[in-house]
Amino acid sequence: MTNDSSTPTISRRGWLKAASCGLGALTVTGLAPEGVSAGMLSPRESHFAPKAKRVIFLFMAGGPSQFESFDHKPALQAGGGKTGLKKGKLLAPLAKFAQHGESGMWVSDAFPHLAGQTDNICMLNAASAPSRAHPIAVPMMHTGAFQFVRPSLGAWVVYGLGTENQDLPGFFTIKPTRTFGGPSNYGSAFLPSTYQATRLGWEGQPVKNATIGNLASHHGLTASAASLSLKLAQMMNQPLVSQSEDVRGVIDSLELSDRMQSAVPKVLNIASESKETLDAYGIDAGRTDDFGRQCLLARRLVESGVRFVEVSSSGWDHHSNLDKFKSKAEEVDKPIAALLADLKQRGLLEETLVVWTGEFGRTPETQVLNGKETIGRDHNAEGFTVWMAGGGVRAGLTHGMTDELGYKAVEGEVVLPDLHATILHLLGLDHTKLVYRYGGRDFRLTNISGNVVHEIIA
Amino acid sequence: MIHPHRRMATTLLVVFGLTGGFVLGEEPDAVKPVPASEKNQGLSLFDSKILPVLKKHCYECHSKDSETIEGGLELDSPSGMLRGGDSGPMLEAHHADKSELLRMLRHEEDVSAMPPDEKLSDEVIAAFEEWIRLGAPDSRADNGPTAKEQRLEEAKRHWSFIPPQAVEPPSVAATDWPRNPLIDNFVLARMEAEGLKPTLDANRRTLIRRIYFDLIGLPPSPQDVDAFVADESPQAVEALVDRLLESPQFGERWGRYWLDVVRFAESSGMEFNFTYPHAWPYRNYVIDSFNADKPFDLFLREQIAGDLLPAEENESPEAAQSRRIALSMLSFGPKRHNSGGTEFQMDIADDQIDVVFKSSMAMTVSCARCHDHKFDPIPTKDYYALAGIFLSTEPLYGTIKQKYSNNPTDLLPIGKDAEAMHAAVVAYDKKFSEAEAAVAAKKKELTEATEAETLAAKEKTEAEELLTAITARVSAAQTEAETAADSEGATETEENAETESGTKPEADTDADTENQAEAQAAADGAGEATSEGAESDAVEADAAGKEATTKLEQAVAKLAEATARVAALKAELPKLEAAVAELKDKRPPAPQYAMTARDRAKPADTKLAIRGDFRNRGDVVPRGFLSAVNVPNAPTIDPAHSGRLELAQWITSPDNPLTARVMVNRIWSHLFGRGIVPTVDNFGVLGKPPTHPQLLDALALRFIEDGWSVKKMVRAIMLSRTYQLSSHVEQNNMKADPDNRLLWRQTPRRLEAEAIRDAILAVSGQLDLERPEASTVTGLGDKLARSIPLEKIQPPSRHRSVYLPIVRDYVPELFDLFDFPSPSLVTGQRSVTNVPSQALYLRNSSFVAEQARHAAERLLASAEATDDPHRVALAMRWALGRTPSEAETTAALQLIAEVKQASAAKAQEAAAAAKEAEAAKEGEKAAEGEEPKAAVEATADDGSANSGSIDAWSAWFLTLFTTAEFRYLVDIEA
Repeated sequence: MTNDSSTPTISRRGWLKAASCGLGALTVTGLAPEGVSAGMLSPRESHFAPKAKRVIFLFMAGGPSQFESFDHKPALQAGGGKTGLKKGKLLAPLAKFAQHGESGMWVSDAFPHLAGQTDNICMLNAASAPSRAHPIAVPMMHTGAFQFVRPSLGAWVVYGLGTENQDLPGFFTIKPTRTFGGPSNYGSAFLPSTYQATRLGWEGQPVKNATIGNLASHHGLTASAASLSLKLAQMMNQPLVSQSEDVRGVIDSLELSDRMQSAVPKVLNIASESKETLDAYGIDAGRTDDFGRQCLLARRLVESGVRFVEVSSSGWDHHSNLDKFKSKAEEVDKPIAALLADLKQRGLLEETLVVWTGEFGRTPETQVLNGKETIGRDHNAEGFTVWMAGGGVRAGLTHGMTDELGYKAVEGEVVLPDLHATILHLLGLDHTKLVYRYGGRDFRLTNISGNVVHEIIA
Repeated sequence: MIHPHRRMATTLLVVFGLTGGFVLGEEPDAVKPVPASEKNQGLSLFDSKILPVLKKHCYECHSKDSETIEGGLELDSPSGMLRGGDSGPMLEAHHADKSELLRMLRHEEDVSAMPPDEKLSDEVIAAFEEWIRLGAPDSRADNGPTAKEQRLEEAKRHWSFIPPQAVEPPSVAATDWPRNPLIDNFVLARMEAEGLKPTLDANRRTLIRRIYFDLIGLPPSPQDVDAFVADESPQAVEALVDRLLESPQFGERWGRYWLDVVRFAESSGMEFNFTYPHAWPYRNYVIDSFNADKPFDLFLREQIAGDLLPAEENESPEAAQSRRIALSMLSFGPKRHNSGGTEFQMDIADDQIDVVFKSSMAMTVSCARCHDHKFDPIPTKDYYALAGIFLSTEPLYGTIKQKYSNNPTDLLPIGKDAEAMHAAVVAYDKKFSEAEAAVAAKKKELTEATEAETLAAKEKTEAEELLTAITARVSAAQTEAETAADSEGATETEENAETESGTKPEADTDADTENQAEAQAAADGAGEATSEGAESDAVEADAAGKEATTKLEQAVAKLAEATARVAALKAELPKLEAAVAELKDKRPPAPQYAMTARDRAKPADTKLAIRGDFRNRGDVVPRGFLSAVNVPNAPTIDPAHSGRLELAQWITSPDNPLTARVMVNRIWSHLFGRGIVPTVDNFGVLGKPPTHPQLLDALALRFIEDGWSVKKMVRAIMLSRTYQLSSHVEQNNMKADPDNRLLWRQTPRRLEAEAIRDAILAVSGQLDLERPEASTVTGLGDKLARSIPLEKIQPPSRHRSVYLPIVRDYVPELFDLFDFPSPSLVTGQRSVTNVPSQALYLRNSSFVAEQARHAAERLLASAEATDDPHRVALAMRWALGRTPSEAETTAALQLIAEVKQASAAKAQEAAAAAKEAEAAKEGEKAAEGEEPKAAVEATADDGSANSGSIDAWSAWFLTLFTTAEFRYLVDIEA
């Protein structure tokens, strides 16, 4: 594994001493406050041998169109302008498709860079979700629920597996949205708050200026005075360990905070990256700069042992401005392609599951707004495209299909709980066993459904 | 308990058992079969075709003996067959088309395909269809209750459904140990039985800190500590407890626990998160209720049915109002305001059922929304009996109609003269909108009148033109008529006239065209007249002229009238506008508002929703309570009301086996960090059993006896020797009982987020103990939370933490980090985590840094300590309630010296820079011949010395805030 950066390496330091509460212990204690303090983030055995050890979840908020990206529909191209099944006019795809790589996977010309990565990608062309309304679909995608506040996917994963680098939080979210559930989308709900994401920035804020709370101090002390203060506190803490194991948790968390204070800025500082790398991600190159930085940070975080990183891109809700799709795609295409290539080159892709998805996709028909036809498409949750890469998925596979016009999944449908179950499965977690008892019942991410899509697993 | 299905099945069985055989191959349609023979046929078919299939393909997952009974469906007994699974019956005798079983066997869409792995042959499926058509008779005997019925029966015998039993405190060997036999004898007897001994008593320093935080959530002052340590009276603890129980801070501490339980928040949460600006009165209601030691049963009744309770004798208007504010509990739950209709109402009712039953009885009733409770004896029917009560209740949560918010409701005006004020506001709003409407109407009238005036003016002009035209044409016609005697060109003339008229410059309006036509007609008349005779021509032309003249006169009159009207309206408008202006800034002050709830106009029972799907309704379920919980003399629901009152009475009946136990257990858990029943919100089958069941019962009964007084219960527990134990570890005990289930010591407890923040503010001297006006959220108005900048949702505050705004998803940072529970979920016991983000907050946040500086300033200003070692000690006494050890003092002085040095160095640098600048300036001045100024340096030195001290002492406070001792209740050295 090449490592040209100053990324901190994975370390497992002393605070694991109290890491007695493995997965089993946690599942039975539920909300019990006893014993669940230190060691909650220490790495834990999965249910079975994992294919993936970490996840980068690329969330394209708004519902990107599959017809301009990854679902090649010649019949729709031919039928443009004709009346569709839902009485609207069919809208021919605004992008041209071609086959790429050894697999001959179809990718549109909106994603010229990703087209070069098809042999790493497993394309799911028949994903479906339970709702075509943003406010329901966004929380569903993130938590499997919308009627109730439930833990997010990342929180479940860190609860199940802990995290590898005890100097860093286990779950990061970069530039999440404040809408449609906002923080619940990366929250821990009834799981201990340890499992919620550490947030870097908000949607609409350049990631360049984003910071993580309380890493920088406000006390104005010199480094040596701050360190002396910490030492003194620890000196006072030490004798109390005999009264409570929890105090060990305090001691460890103080130690860890000290290490985090140097580790996090290091991992978030991309200055040490080579010019080639920065260029590859499209950093400092206009439209790709911001998302390029997000992707590079995601790589640096997982490389440092962070378990789950969500990266968000917003503005995919093309109701009337689908002509802008390509320029939206341009923002993420090069950065994502660079991310996959970079992970691969570093030997990380094999154990890093990259997931690309929106909350749903779009219809083959032209959107009519206020009685006027637009260049745009409405939401469609009955069939859309999600792709995965690395982490034990069958690279180069195109799985499932929608009908010839792309209204709904007709073959190899992957419903949302299946998607969640499969992600957990790749991480070595059985979605029916990853449970947490709250309010008298065992809860799980997939609630009462979910089937692992074994066909897409290598 | 009646099992209707079983009874029916058994009856059928008897009938079938008595009837004879069935001839295979008989054509069922050939003869119209009598029912008996149908049954015979069916039974025979059952034995030959159906039963073998059930045994082979179904029993594995759907019988009493299967490992898990999938979908709650038991197919190994007639009653199980007929009852169906969690989603209700799956076959209807004689009606194959209505039997879901067939659709499942056929692997149709939208049903679970059964058997899941392989579809049965068409022949077998046809046999099932035929069998159902024949009435689905079953030849098997029902051997005892089904597993589900068995489970239900067993669950009803679960400990928490059996009323508390009065037991005398057991005798103990160490007779001199117990202080309060009600508690100590039970605890000690259990320890003695297991060979454990209670650890040492806590010392006074430890005890006062514990009691302060436990009762009021604040640290004791050094003076309090000194006085308590010095008080040798055996009543010292009692006196302290009694004093703090009477402090207004008690309710702020204990009220917050209840706010967790009822998932109090000031916004709707969910995907669109609307603020609830009027939730705060409930917060105050809870705090005040705990301070007033309102009987807990009444407290519960008020929150469930405050509006329906009879007024107390001589009840003050405030008290009457607070009964209605209490009902906010039913209204501030998380809600999807973007939804609507039945789904919205059902979700609200579900939330209400959840919060009412978890908070009062620690029962997870809402599990039964979709299926019979898997573990507790709560059938779906019970859920809908309760849902009927809550669906007959209208929650009043306010909100305004805006995008994504579809369901605004009224609110409750509160405060002195609230009704009158609200009426005045409503009246004013009505008056004002009427005044505005009057202006608008008048303006509209004026516009119309102006238009009419314009039209009239135009008509007048046209009439003038017409008259002119006629006059001209008449005279022309007369001329023509005179010459007509000599020539016969009348027709020609006529044509010419027409042509002329036709070529008249293009008419651009209809009016013009009409006008033109009229003129033409008049002219035609004149022209025609020429062929008749000059005399009659003249008469007729004259008539047309006259007519036109009349028209003109009318038009003139009309115009005059229109002009007058415009003028009149113009004159009237300012008066109306003045009326609006007059009202404009005179809106009477609006009262405060609160959320509440009330009965709907037409309370009604509701229908069961199959699998929780409100579109798929089953039978009407009469409103009622939990069937498994036996409360003698339970009230019957008055159908004219929602039933909340009766529900509240049922829940708070002294005979309800759960309510008192649940609350004393909550109280206990706050004072020991763990409940006697560790799962404080779940007393059901899945909850943990009590560690000291008799103690729990004794406390519950005492609680009821003492009039459900929370303060008396808190006091009783605190005055026990068990509560007053130290946290000292006895190795033998530790080995035998590491989790301290037997209460041989006090387990060190982490303070909650609120207590940590309040303690920091108390140490810094910044804490404002006054209750703030309303809530921050009130000032924000009805908004989408995400549209509000974070710094406006959580502005800096010096008030106690219980008063900080609780906007779902946007709770204060410190709360978020220190395990404040999700305010969308009922939480009786918070989790406790120790994570680095907490350490980072305490070490680096602007809040803590700022408070540390305030504390340093306070310290330096204090006359109690005038040298550094004493300052080190005083700071520690404020923060930790004790004096430092020698080693600690030395280390602290070292830290202070180091910071002072660093600050001095920094100041020197700054001073040097300033001096240099000054020197440069002076140099310039000197060059200009001025006297150099003195003492600049000295002033700078003083300033830096002071600021250096603040830096240094704030570093010491930061250190103290970071320690485990600051945020844990541990033993303190005496």
